[in-house]
Amino acid sequence: MAARVLQQCVRSFAQPSLRLCSSNLALRVTAVQAVAVHRPLSFAADSRRTRWLVQSRIPSVGVLCRQYGDLPPLTLETIKERVMYVLKLYDKINPEKLQTSSHFMKDLGLDSLDQVEIIMAMEDEFGFEIPDAEAEKLMTPEEIVQYIADKKDVYE
Amino acid sequence: MASAYLTHQQKVLRLYKKSLRHLESWCIFRDKYRFYACLLRARFDENKTEKDMVKATMMLKAGEEEFWTNQHPQPYIFPDSPGGTSYERYECYKVPEWVLDHWHPSEKAMYPDYFSKREQWKKLRNQSWEKEVAQLEAETPAVGPKSEALPPARKEGDLPPLWWQFVTRPRERPT
Repeated sequence: MAARVLQQCVRSFAQPSLRLCSSNLALRVTAVQAVAVHRPLSFAADSRRTRWLVQSRIPSVGVLCRQYGDLPPLTLETIKERVMYVLKLYDKINPEKLQTSSHFMKDLGLDSLDQVEIIMAMEDEFGFEIPDAEAEKLMTPEEIVQYIADKKDVYE
Repeated sequence: MASAYLTHQQKVLRLYKKSLRHLESWCIFRDKYRFYACLLRARFDENKTEKDMVKATMMLKAGEEEFWTNQHPQPYIFPDSPGGTSYERYECYKVPEWVLDHWHPSEKAMYPDYFSKREQWKKLRNQSWEKEVAQLEAETPAVGPKSEALPPARKEGDLPPLWWQFVTRPRERPT
């Protein structure tokens, strides 16, 4: 029973290690197996969790680079789509009348409090804060897209 | 913003934003937060057409005091904002642009297009520097500048003052 669990652990630990550095493939796998054999107790506790990990097949030699965790890179189009999507979800805006150049106060008839709420929704969407001094100047979706692209280094 | 003082509207909007953020820290479930945010918005809305500035300022003061008593001890701060976990984390990697001039010629040869254009940009900077300084000296009052905002270019064909610092600023997230 313990041997079976150990085998599962070794297999599940060998799979993700393939992703890390395929050049040191053989070394890494043997190292993991050796480590797994020496410390059975700690791995037995993790076995159930590791079995649930999605173990996808990767090309064996293909990607000779490290794969850190990060969001997909932003482009101007994706920023614009996300901004327009969030704005269309806002109930005080008519989605048909919304354009990238529509001014919040003049064209869409919104309030300054609404503009604050919109900016807060943008902050929540993109995950960084927009300071008040600059937020009060952003009055069209186009300006918001440009500001976010400016802050996130997107094809300046 | 022209001067260093905030208008009443700006103060009210800032109070609204920070009270919504602290409310979000208190009500972690989204539907509960939405409910109380709507109530807060209604409270702001019923008083927003106040024309008497004395009364409006008293209400703002009362609102600030209520915010102070009800604030969250550990509000959610975005990682990149001051007080957040990632604030100024990449400051040490933001190298100023004059370092590019100190590259070895073999390194500069790896990017010939950029460095050829760079010479032209530097010439442009040298030409416009006198005019920028003159404009800034003319526009700042004798006591000193009132705020950090720089004035835009006033004449046609002129570049805004200190444009070089802005154009060659390092990326927000240098790799």
